[in-house]
Amino acid sequence: MTVTRRTRAASPSVCYAAPSVTSAPVLEVEHLVKRYRDVTALAGVSLTIGAGEIFALLGPNGAGKTTLIGAVCGLVKKTSGTMRLFGVDLDSDPIGPRYDVGLVPQEVNFDPFFSVSESLKIQLGYYARPPDEARIREVLEALSLEDKANAQTRTLSGGMKRRLLIAKALVHRPKLVFLDEPTAGVDVELRRDLWAYVRRLRAEGTTVILTTHYLEEAEELADRVGIINSGRLLLVEDKVSLLRRMGEKRVRITFAGPVGALPDALDGKAVLSEDRRSLLVTERNGHPRAGEVLQQLYRSGFPVVDVDTRASRLEDVLIEILRSEARA
Amino acid sequence: MNATGLQTLFLKEVRRFLRVPGQTVLSPLISTTLYFVVFGVSLGGRMEEATGQRYLPFIVPGLVFLGLANNAFLNTSSSLFIMKIQGTIVDLLVAPLGPGELLLGFVGGGMVRGLAVGLLTWLVALVFAGFQLAHPLATIGFLLGTAYVFSVLGLVAAVWAEKFEQINFFPTFVMLPLTFLGGVFYSVARLPEPWRTISHFNPMVYMVEGLRYGMLGTSSLPPSAGGSMLLALALASTAVTYALLARGYKLKQ
Repeated sequence: MTVTRRTRAASPSVCYAAPSVTSAPVLEVEHLVKRYRDVTALAGVSLTIGAGEIFALLGPNGAGKTTLIGAVCGLVKKTSGTMRLFGVDLDSDPIGPRYDVGLVPQEVNFDPFFSVSESLKIQLGYYARPPDEARIREVLEALSLEDKANAQTRTLSGGMKRRLLIAKALVHRPKLVFLDEPTAGVDVELRRDLWAYVRRLRAEGTTVILTTHYLEEAEELADRVGIINSGRLLLVEDKVSLLRRMGEKRVRITFAGPVGALPDALDGKAVLSEDRRSLLVTERNGHPRAGEVLQQLYRSGFPVVDVDTRASRLEDVLIEILRSEARA
Repeated sequence: MNATGLQTLFLKEVRRFLRVPGQTVLSPLISTTLYFVVFGVSLGGRMEEATGQRYLPFIVPGLVFLGLANNAFLNTSSSLFIMKIQGTIVDLLVAPLGPGELLLGFVGGGMVRGLAVGLLTWLVALVFAGFQLAHPLATIGFLLGTAYVFSVLGLVAAVWAEKFEQINFFPTFVMLPLTFLGGVFYSVARLPEPWRTISHFNPMVYMVEGLRYGMLGTSSLPPSAGGSMLLALALASTAVTYALLARGYKLKQ
């Protein structure tokens, strides 16, 4: 496995890999820096997001995910760097590209003076769209809020308020949607409904940038993954290739009873347990192949009774990357 | 210019205060009516003896000013400040609304509430003091100008404030004393020196006297002085507020 790694002196942002974006870029961020007095929230982040992809930005609390999104959306004043949305430099035109942007903020907010549908009409108006009742109905149905269209926002439950936030971010049909922890506090059923809706958005050509603490969510949805820590983008990679490259498959083979010495061909490929009743094969990046180990065992007459396989998840990969970053 | 966005923000601001009319319109109207009763009816006789002038009609422009200025200020200051506290300011900052749209949208809403309370105060005054309108155009100009300036100042206060205590600072420690010392209940021309001269440094005096000229036809200051003061305040407050909104001062991180 080849790991491309820039030195810190060359760039404050360390990248293990930087796959190219094949589609036209929707968002281009270059050397973005944000400093708050003594704290550097973003230390020279560069990132390109292509049209129609779902990009998951992952990292621990305080890593800089929300700051990065805030800088692009106009909530955070950058210290330096450039940002282009739909090819337009935000320094020269900070307003124009925002007609096609939607944001689900991390913090739940609601205007207690208005009902759910009024809030969506206001949102449409801000984005210079007419009050489209059909669109409002469609979004409310997609988020299971159709029964609450005329309810005052203050009467909604916490989960419903979060769904309203999502509805507000989507009602004007943005081309780029930022979902900053969109499913925090949302029940499992609705979370899965929302995933389906996000996939539908992508199918319609919408680009989605997602931050989430539920790594299962990123694993389900994302095409590409970016890992950020301490304001530095550590990695940007296609999710499948990342899991293949950095993930591992642990195969535990259980025997009918204690076994004798392993065949020489399995030297270094598997670890026998102390009670000699099971064998652990850890497959990384396709080596060693667990299937070949099994075949060898069968050929040598080992009494295999059970095979248990556990593949790495994105969570394991994230933890591994953060640990190796801390060691570095 | 996002005209639809501006219109949406303006209408939202108007609908916001109309949702709680008891708090935003009726309550200030009752306060102003009490001023009429306490100052006008109970003290009015003595004031008329001292000045030889009917007192109730005299205080009408000042009380209209009081209701108008306070409510124009309170609408923009409370609306934006609550948005900051509740986090709904995010909706405005992410949306394609520039500093011009934000300024005009909020200020338009504040002006409507200020003018609504001011005009209702005038309506109540009809009961106590009868109707007088000497210079309609000057009256309209001073009403609109005052509503604009105080709406903009409310926006500045909301941008600056980070705590509830701070949002109350300007109306309590600046507006209230300046208004009460601004010739609402008395003519500054009758003040002894040095108070008369000192009063001329109070911008409220110019606005109250300007409105008094428009409504009653008499004033201790020329209306051009009031007009100039309003124009200067409008230009200065607009420039400051536009710059603050464009920078995202205390709105963006």
